[in-house]
Amino acid sequence: MLFSGTVQIDAPRARTWAFLIDPDKVSSCGPGVESVEIIDAANFKVRAKVGVGFISAKFVVNMTFAELTAPDKAVIKASGQAPGSAVDAVGSMLLSGPPEGPTTMDWSAEVDISGSLAGVGARLMEGTANKIVGQTFDCIKAKLEG
Amino acid sequence: MTIEMEPQTTPEVGGMGHSVKRKEDPRFIQGQGEYIDDVNLPGQLWLDIVRSPYAHAKIRSIDASEALKIPGVAAVITGKDLEGYKLHWMPTLAGDMQMVLPVDTVMYQAQEVAAVIATSRYAAADGVAAVYVDYEPLPVIVDPFEALKPDAIVLRPDKGPDKQTNHIWHWESGDEAKADAALAAADVTISQDIYIPRIHVASIETCGCVADWDPVREQLTLHMTSQAPHAIRTVLALVAGGAGLPIYEHNIRVKTHDIGGGFGGKVPVYPGYVLAVAASFLTGKPVKWIEDRSENLQADSFARDYHIHAEMGATKEGKITGLKVKTIADHGYTDAAADPSKFPAGLFNVITGSYDFDNAFVEVDGVYTNKPPGGVAYRCSFRVTEAVHAIERMVDILAHDIGKDPAQLRMENFIQPEQFPYTTPTGWEYDSGNYGAALTMAMEMIDYEGLRKEQAEKRERGELMGIGISSFTEIVGAGPSHTFDILGIKMFDSCEIRVHPTGKVLARIGVQTQGQGHETTFAQIIAEELGFPVSDIKIEYGDTDTAPYGLGTYASRSTPVAGAATAIAARKIKEKARHLAAHLLEASADDLEWTNGKWSVKGSPDRFKTIQEIAFAAYTNHPQGMEAGLEAVDYYDPPNLTFPFGSYICVVDIDKGTGQVTVRRFVAVDDCGNIINPMIVDGQIHGGLTMGFAPALYEEITYDERGNNLAGTFMDYLLPTAMETPAWETGKTITPSPHHPIGAKGVGESATVGAPPAIANAVVDALWHLGVRNIDIPMTPQKVWKILHEKGVAP
Repeated sequence: MLFSGTVQIDAPRARTWAFLIDPDKVSSCGPGVESVEIIDAANFKVRAKVGVGFISAKFVVNMTFAELTAPDKAVIKASGQAPGSAVDAVGSMLLSGPPEGPTTMDWSAEVDISGSLAGVGARLMEGTANKIVGQTFDCIKAKLEG
Repeated sequence: MTIEMEPQTTPEVGGMGHSVKRKEDPRFIQGQGEYIDDVNLPGQLWLDIVRSPYAHAKIRSIDASEALKIPGVAAVITGKDLEGYKLHWMPTLAGDMQMVLPVDTVMYQAQEVAAVIATSRYAAADGVAAVYVDYEPLPVIVDPFEALKPDAIVLRPDKGPDKQTNHIWHWESGDEAKADAALAAADVTISQDIYIPRIHVASIETCGCVADWDPVREQLTLHMTSQAPHAIRTVLALVAGGAGLPIYEHNIRVKTHDIGGGFGGKVPVYPGYVLAVAASFLTGKPVKWIEDRSENLQADSFARDYHIHAEMGATKEGKITGLKVKTIADHGYTDAAADPSKFPAGLFNVITGSYDFDNAFVEVDGVYTNKPPGGVAYRCSFRVTEAVHAIERMVDILAHDIGKDPAQLRMENFIQPEQFPYTTPTGWEYDSGNYGAALTMAMEMIDYEGLRKEQAEKRERGELMGIGISSFTEIVGAGPSHTFDILGIKMFDSCEIRVHPTGKVLARIGVQTQGQGHETTFAQIIAEELGFPVSDIKIEYGDTDTAPYGLGTYASRSTPVAGAATAIAARKIKEKARHLAAHLLEASADDLEWTNGKWSVKGSPDRFKTIQEIAFAAYTNHPQGMEAGLEAVDYYDPPNLTFPFGSYICVVDIDKGTGQVTVRRFVAVDDCGNIINPMIVDGQIHGGLTMGFAPALYEEITYDERGNNLAGTFMDYLLPTAMETPAWETGKTITPSPHHPIGAKGVGESATVGAPPAIANAVVDALWHLGVRNIDIPMTPQKVWKILHEKGVAP
């Protein structure tokens, strides 16, 4: 599944960049995130509870920055598991706009869900993904613009 | 409408032809059945299974440390643990190999990866959630045509250097040159691709077992839900022997209980059974494994998944002259079909059906994909459903193409009654049949002429109504030992009868009942042969320590094979009873005649001994030189298969706005030879029709491109309920099997086989004038609506 979008954030580019590549900060905006464990500069582990329709699953997701080109481009790879289900994703973002803001973020994510969640939740997946993305960006905007 | 068979016994005796109420029903209707989940043993542990989210992946590592911290979790078993005992692979019933647990690679989504053993079901499930498996996803092949491409990755590198391909086997039947010549010379040729999708039996009781290894007595008792307990015992003994474990066949007791639906899904040996046995062996405690619904729908063996390409030739008048069929069979990652060794595509070459023509060629190629084992069973294991669907669709397309009524075209092509025994161009010898009689009865019952008039009027008004026919020939009763075996074991079946001194009877059979009513019908066979009332006869099965060896119940083989063994064993008893009666009557055995449960002196009907008096004498007053007792056993090797048949007619109405197909009427005329219990036969037909209706309109297991099963719950795998199911109208003709001891043919699967093409033909018949030649089942509203929309009929 391919998701993409553009978000306008009324904040300077450098501050936006710093926030988005900080695992603790950005994860604090992920709905259902229970913990973030920093392993090294490029790797961290997120534990999150995700609900799709009537199913909820606790995922353990290994995140890796595959590319970090300050101050505008990042690619992150994620692979995670919940009992009977797995997620493999590649997300990328490109920031643009004047240094003082507002900052424009073009983002895309290719997400593959495997296992029971893919079967049982297939028809609910897009709605759920849009909801999670929406909540995440609302939170990011609120924290950066506030 | 039914051609009646006159019963030869009184209703009190209840022999063949009586609708005796089922002896098993009192316990079922009082909620006293005992299913596998009702079996609980003292000290029992629970087993639950970690399953793969990926359809194809390398296992980098398995971390069970968190699971083992959970209170109650006793052990976690992985493929590497089993590898130490050479228990990580085991044979399938088709002679392929399947994994018990993978050591390094998973092959389908929901495959077993590890087993958690715990003191409760809950702890086991918590343990499963806590096992962390590190996977490396691999490319997935879900399409068998992709699997056959030269650059496709090889899914089964374990198969040896000369089998580095996803092609499993090629099988063919008939004469290709003759079929080609017939098609080339035909006035009319038609060709059609037909896909019969993957479906699942979805029995209400899932699979499960309680394995109980007694380390002191070195005895394994395996309580389970199996249609073939003796075969399971032998496979277990072979697997244990290969692993060097001290579990020998005489110390293995497989015991079935009441079975909540089999339909072929409970024939295979699943990894869960072996894991429970291994866990019980390791812990010395009973271990219980019960599948949940989604595990059952995602991981157990599947049926069908046949990609058929058929070509048919005919004269311009519609006389069929030739048939050529090429099929790709998607078997998933292992060939686990319970087909006889010589028949990797089952009896698919019965595809010439009820029709008389000389030239046919059929070929099938089995293919590996990243799916669970396919091609196993759905109330028909030997590919007869696929064959019947293809021929009945082709005959209908031919009729429509040349503008002839489909009923008329069938009548003109049927094998005629005087042609039996009839040898088909693919080599089967049909035992008996009267196809025109069955179709005529069905047409009268449904008022075929009237329906065609109604259809013409409705079409004028733009309404969509269709009439579909299926005149199928089944092939059941495997099978003769010269041709039929599973893993080398010949497909005979058995019965042992013991007559007690007071004239009561215990009979044990080598087949299993999972709803068919064997406790009643097998008693009726003995009642018919010996005159004991059905109420005095107890039928036992499903305990390998007591029942004689048999290959089990599937492929409609119980009555044709074990039913014959029962009749023959009874006749052995009757013969001994004759000599006992001669002794008691002081007459020559040659001077006695048998009538209604008595041996009497010819010409002196007052001088007789009843079978009950003879039974008592067998233990109290037998002649010198004769063995005491009145017992017999028979292992029956059938001389041929049996060929039940029928004609079904279906009427559908299609909603132009939604594409919803409604089956308005469905008439089923069946001929299963002589009938043991008309009520039970009707019950079998009703159930079978519903299980034919289901895949025609509702059921399909689909996968996404990553190999995820998209129908893993009853929310997506739609079973029709009583609300959707039509009111079936049934009729019977009776054409006995000439070679079967009681003239019976078997009926369990006829309706499942015959119903889908009748429904598909009706739907296409309703839409033919719009240019629709074929719709693959299931004919769901969205599929039909899409066609109507493309044709400009639906908005």
